[in-house]
Amino acid sequence: MRLSVRELALCAVLSALAMGLGWMESFLPAAPGIPGIRLGLANTATVFALYALGPVQALCILFVRCTLGSVFAGNLNALVFSLLGGFAAMGTMILLSRWEKLSIYGVSIGGAAAHNCGQVAAAVLVLGSAAPLYYLPVLLGVSLATGSLTGLVCARLFRALEHAGILTQNA
Amino acid sequence: MRRLPILRPVLWDGVVVLAAAILALGTALALLRGGEARAAAVYADGTELDRVALDRLEGPEIRSYVGGGYTVTVEFDPDQGVRVQKADCPTQDCVRTGWIRSGRQAVVCLPARIVVRLEGGETEDGGPDAVIG
Repeated sequence: MRLSVRELALCAVLSALAMGLGWMESFLPAAPGIPGIRLGLANTATVFALYALGPVQALCILFVRCTLGSVFAGNLNALVFSLLGGFAAMGTMILLSRWEKLSIYGVSIGGAAAHNCGQVAAAVLVLGSAAPLYYLPVLLGVSLATGSLTGLVCARLFRALEHAGILTQNA
Repeated sequence: MRRLPILRPVLWDGVVVLAAAILALGTALALLRGGEARAAAVYADGTELDRVALDRLEGPEIRSYVGGGYTVTVEFDPDQGVRVQKADCPTQDCVRTGWIRSGRQAVVCLPARIVVRLEGGETEDGGPDAVIG
């Protein structure tokens, strides 16, 4: 698969954007008692890439932003959680995006839910205990909201780009 | 560029929402069937470090555990349950979880790889099972 220079540059910009959003989000206060609750703003970049570029490009951006994001945050331990959650989310979204009856909201919510499941699964593997499963119900509930937020941002973004004539529907 | 998705919420999104909700409820129901907790077990990296029988405690008891380079201080109270009182991990999620009381609840400190888990029924095997004579 060959990337045009324009696509490559766009991937790089989206990766940087995702990392920046993730970093900015780390300054927001976390919900008490629920580890791993985040708005997932960085996912707007990957969801955008999934539709604007394609699943392979989106996966590359995801990998880059998880890896480099962990390196820059100085927390390589969190990388396994980030990657497992991210790839679970991406895989789910790639599958869901093929179902044409689903809007971008459904895909985002599915991605958010899968992301949390992936992270809990990673925690279970790392800890060797089923204890993290206790957090799953709350995380899934919140993922409905965070997935909707990501979907909303991307929907508005696509609509604005279409309106401005920047994103054209070429094959 | 691929075809754009539908940009406003549709009824079919409800299927995804429902699936997530069912998964959430299912996990919640399966986990909350624990009942009253009788003992707390502390694990580091999957191996059991300590086990405290909550119904044999006379007052609050505080113990510290070290895991992954971090120290986690756990408070066991016969009335309030168990909580992580303080820890020196960077995220402090364990401290913020607060008290846990029932059945299968647990507090997890990921950086320290420490899990404090409530269990029903099992107690420390400190004493003899029977004394004859």
